[in-house]
Amino acid sequence: MNFIPCINFQPRLTYLSFMELDRCLELLYAGQLLPEATLRALCFKLKEKLVKESNVVHISTPVTVVGDLHGQFHDLLEIFEIGGAVPNTNYLFLGDYVDRGLYSVETISLLIVLKLRYPNRVHLLRGNHESRQITQSYGFYSECLNKYGGASGVWQCFTDLFDYLVLCCIIDNELFCVHGGLSPNVQTIDQIRIIDRFREIPHDGAMADLVWSDPEDSAGDANSPSSTSTTTHFQVSPRGAGYTFGRSVVEKFLQLNGMSRIYRAHQLCNEGYQVYFGGLVTTVWSAPNYCYRCGNKASILELYDKDHSYFNVFEEAPENKLLNNAATAPNGTFLRDYFDETVGPVDVFSDEYQVASASKRHVEYFL
Amino acid sequence: MDNKRVPRHGISAIYVDQAREAFAQTVRARDPRSPAATMNKPQVAVGHDIATIPRPNRHRCKNPNNPACPHCSAVIIPAPKATLPLEDTPSISIEDWTISTRKKPILNSKELDEWETILGGLTLPEMIFGNSFVRIENEKKGWCLEFNALDALKAVKVEDSGIRVSYAHKWIKSKKEQQRTSELDDNSLEIGQHYDWTYTTNYKGSLASDNPPFTRDDSIELPLDKLTRPDPILFYDDMILFEDELADNGISVVNVKVRVMNERALILSRFFLRVDGVLFRVYDTRVYVEFDENRVVREYKEHENDYNAVLTKQNSGHGRDPKAILRDSNWVAQQLPLVKRECEFLQL
Repeated sequence: MNFIPCINFQPRLTYLSFMELDRCLELLYAGQLLPEATLRALCFKLKEKLVKESNVVHISTPVTVVGDLHGQFHDLLEIFEIGGAVPNTNYLFLGDYVDRGLYSVETISLLIVLKLRYPNRVHLLRGNHESRQITQSYGFYSECLNKYGGASGVWQCFTDLFDYLVLCCIIDNELFCVHGGLSPNVQTIDQIRIIDRFREIPHDGAMADLVWSDPEDSAGDANSPSSTSTTTHFQVSPRGAGYTFGRSVVEKFLQLNGMSRIYRAHQLCNEGYQVYFGGLVTTVWSAPNYCYRCGNKASILELYDKDHSYFNVFEEAPENKLLNNAATAPNGTFLRDYFDETVGPVDVFSDEYQVASASKRHVEYFL
Repeated sequence: MDNKRVPRHGISAIYVDQAREAFAQTVRARDPRSPAATMNKPQVAVGHDIATIPRPNRHRCKNPNNPACPHCSAVIIPAPKATLPLEDTPSISIEDWTISTRKKPILNSKELDEWETILGGLTLPEMIFGNSFVRIENEKKGWCLEFNALDALKAVKVEDSGIRVSYAHKWIKSKKEQQRTSELDDNSLEIGQHYDWTYTTNYKGSLASDNPPFTRDDSIELPLDKLTRPDPILFYDDMILFEDELADNGISVVNVKVRVMNERALILSRFFLRVDGVLFRVYDTRVYVEFDENRVVREYKEHENDYNAVLTKQNSGHGRDPKAILRDSNWVAQQLPLVKRECEFLQL
């Protein structure tokens, strides 16, 4: 791989200057990968910072909340265009930075450097994909091998770092933010504070539920009061593990902890956000055209103060269209080519374009 | 970038159609086997190409904004997305047969609510391409077969599938333990709502009720010799009807592919299920149409096996990333034993 050997500090070095971090940012914004030694140092340094943080981080508005990204690096850059660049805008990311998309490494690298460079402006929560087991099945592991070679320890380095990410965030003492949702093992926020989070996400228990569970807005609420007693509590999924949580669980949790709303991510929604239980729970989804084929919108939630907010809805970054277009993306092109000024608008009516796109379209003699 | 090209105030559809037609004419006028076009199509042997060259005008292209086909300069491999606000349903007609496809984004929340009512009791999969379809019809005989997500989901059972994720037993056990030590309050550990969360569907396509029925005959085989011939593909599409990642316990997906050659068409609708640590399922429906004989053959196959039985078969060559191959439904299908096969035909 073509790394730019520009930063030669050693992993054990405990001091990273702003200048070095800015150089990393420059490379990452240009779509390049960082050298492995640099990544090791960055992960090491960030672990050192995160280990001091509580499981529950307190921040205040204004802040922009970002949901699942799933390696859609161009859309992350689009988010900085739409929502404002770091450090001019404060960001809270709700997790699921990797897997599925083609640029998980670039995405998580950029977020790590931003967190180190502007620790009070960027906050990263842990999602269910920030895990060793899940990333092996859903693309991040393969991507690390492809981009850094089979002998590299990059994936171990990233996944070790994931163990240090915090679980929840509370904004202005009343907005509760988490990747998945609530857990029957968590009645009070203090019960989250005592979780030992420095580990792989387990299958079971409070930590698993926080990154895994989903709200279940039963449509039957209004018309059959008898059903509410069963459908507004926690329910076991028919898969045989994991929970869905209903309205009464949410109301009880909010009331007990003096919170007013829950913001979470974790579930795809076509409109970019989804409101449950009359606004008590809101899903924020930030991966437009998820997996490059769902055609969904995405949003970021701009919180101005605890009562005023705005869902900034957006569609996929234009670079993604070029990525998908075989005619303009010759094999083996590096990401930075898409940022190159010389690549002008494509003339879709040109002969070259038509021939190239017809011949490169995928046709399969399936049986 | 493309958006900037769309004029602000819009053009009426008739001019757009004219523009498309004009564009199509220039495209057609081009040399069909220009060096640039054939160079990139190595799978079409030159000798073969001449032998099976389609008779002119046998197929009619109905989607003029698509690029030229290297075989006959008139095709039609569908664009991934319509660029104008007109309905973009790419299609091809050969004799009395028309094959059309449509690809749309996933359902929005209003549509999802409607579907929840229709499908009552089923928690819907994560991604539903509910406005997409693959359709094959014979206008003269009034026969039509369609593959769509709604009918595929109607075939999913709203009852306990009996399948649990690999760690379910451990999970429930630890919850019961917690209940005994009263860490948990009175939460019921009953499963709230029973439905087949693997979305297993034996969907074979949707036929209108007044269509003539198929005749069952399991002795029929698909003509592999005809289907393996590299006849030029005049029309091709590949789409997902619905997909769910089973809360990251695997994948459940229905995928439909269609290819149309000069004399025949083949549709493959595949349900692929992987529950990590538990099992694999591949349910295939193949629809084969011979245009000149007006004959349709539909074959349905169920394959299934344990997860570990499949995992042991991939011991060579994937040392570093053993799970990559388990995402490939073609490879998995070859490893699974056939559990059930049905075949039926229809002579129109």
